[in-house]
Amino acid sequence: MMNPGSQDAALRDARQVPFMESSRLASLAALSRTELEALQLQKLRRQLTRLHRTSAYYRRRMDDAHIEPENLRSLDLFFDRFPFSTKADFLTDQTAYPPFGERLGIDRRQVALVNMTGGTSGQGQEIYGRSQHDVHMQGYLHALPWFLAGLRAGDLAINCVPAGGMTTGGWGPGEGLRIIGATAFHVGGSLSTDAKIDLMLKIGEVNFIYASTNYLHTLTEALMRRGLEPAQAFPTLRTLFIAAEGYPIEWAERIEALWGCRLQEGYGSTQCAGFGASTCADGALSATGGRGLMSLFEWESLIEVLDPVTLKPVASGEMGEMVVTNLSIEGSPVIRFRTGDAARFVSYRDTASGRAWNAIECGTIGRFDDMMKIRGNNVWPSAVDAAVFSHGEIVEYAGRVFTSVDGKTEVEVRLALSESVASCDPDACRQLIERVRTSIKERTNVWMTAVVCARSELPEFSYKARRWMDERQQGYRL
Amino acid sequence: MRNANHATGPSERDYQILSRMLSDAESLCRTQDALLVGQYSHLHGRIAALVELTAPIEGDEARP
Repeated sequence: MMNPGSQDAALRDARQVPFMESSRLASLAALSRTELEALQLQKLRRQLTRLHRTSAYYRRRMDDAHIEPENLRSLDLFFDRFPFSTKADFLTDQTAYPPFGERLGIDRRQVALVNMTGGTSGQGQEIYGRSQHDVHMQGYLHALPWFLAGLRAGDLAINCVPAGGMTTGGWGPGEGLRIIGATAFHVGGSLSTDAKIDLMLKIGEVNFIYASTNYLHTLTEALMRRGLEPAQAFPTLRTLFIAAEGYPIEWAERIEALWGCRLQEGYGSTQCAGFGASTCADGALSATGGRGLMSLFEWESLIEVLDPVTLKPVASGEMGEMVVTNLSIEGSPVIRFRTGDAARFVSYRDTASGRAWNAIECGTIGRFDDMMKIRGNNVWPSAVDAAVFSHGEIVEYAGRVFTSVDGKTEVEVRLALSESVASCDPDACRQLIERVRTSIKERTNVWMTAVVCARSELPEFSYKARRWMDERQQGYRL
Repeated sequence: MRNANHATGPSERDYQILSRMLSDAESLCRTQDALLVGQYSHLHGRIAALVELTAPIEGDEARP
């Protein structure tokens, strides 16, 4: 048995492996902050100079801000002057100049892949035209975090995210797994969860699983329902890689224990053309306990984390909105795009990585536009997720905000219990529900009504979970 | 072997360029960088397919 000192040394070594196996990554990891920012400025100048020539949308923005891209002297000048873009700006541009808008930045005939955002906001879908160069970059921006997380050529990978369609998340993983040289089974969307499990059991030597946070939860739950212990069923699994949603820390601990391997996480989006940050090999749980950190791939994208009201950078440790600028993407690049994604920023000075890469906290990514105003409180679904799933007995839930007959705002959460708990005595069940309500109140400052329902009454999500319905408007209809 | 400048037609010229690129890609695949080796292998595969698709068809030489 290893003593704690040698365990620490082994863990440190494991974190260094990707940098020992790639001299390119080692060079990027060795950059000082000054050197990294010089590289960013050089790439930014190249990007803006090209866009001034090829994109009327960005040329107008540069001219209005009196920015001469060839003479851009500093990143600070860019941050001070370059105007933000929002989803609404992109939709207006697309409407005026369909289908890609004037921001495209390449000849339309050079578009090799069309991606659209998911459309879950209800405002409309942004359209992105990617060149052949970008198709490889999108693959690289998926392969990079997975390589850092331990995926290697020849490994057997399961991609649970639905493949194909119009989204970046549908195309990037396939390209990423292909260029890393892994043998990939793209099971997302096309097979039921039980059929996926059957296939994985037939394959046997699975090394890597990529899934949304929510789907990893569903998959784990389904395995347990079948009486399968994940760690025993898949002993060769080295990495679970999640993306897209927040989670409670207790959930991450339980997942690592059940699967017997490290949980790694990435932050990605269509605007980042793949992943913009990942845990590298450090894990979603930090070595000292608590949440891990995702290092930003700052040489590919500038990522600012800003106060959404003042639009000034937040201090290390604070939540802010991520604003993205692509440094390497040439088709439909985003320049200072307000994503609406909320993250806790951590300065490189406050990380233990030894790299000059800034970071964001694991498991707390949320959306500013998902926020619900309930009885004067700002409530994010991710906060309720964290409260509910910190209780291992709850396997799924759904929330509803509505207006009661007497005009009051009410909130109801329907909780599905694990099979072992569902049949326990009513008093224990009531106590559990009360504990969940208290957890929700602690995290949101809102008391919610909690009721138990059957698991089958709640939907399963193959990608991003949509657990909340805001029905308050309907309550005011006459 | 004739060089690209002396190739008789675009197809043969392309084939010769691609053949040289294939040889370069094979060299790249011997990299010690584990992040890049898969990408080089991917590139090698794409070039190899194009070499296949531009290979002179038997009988081309005999045609006027």
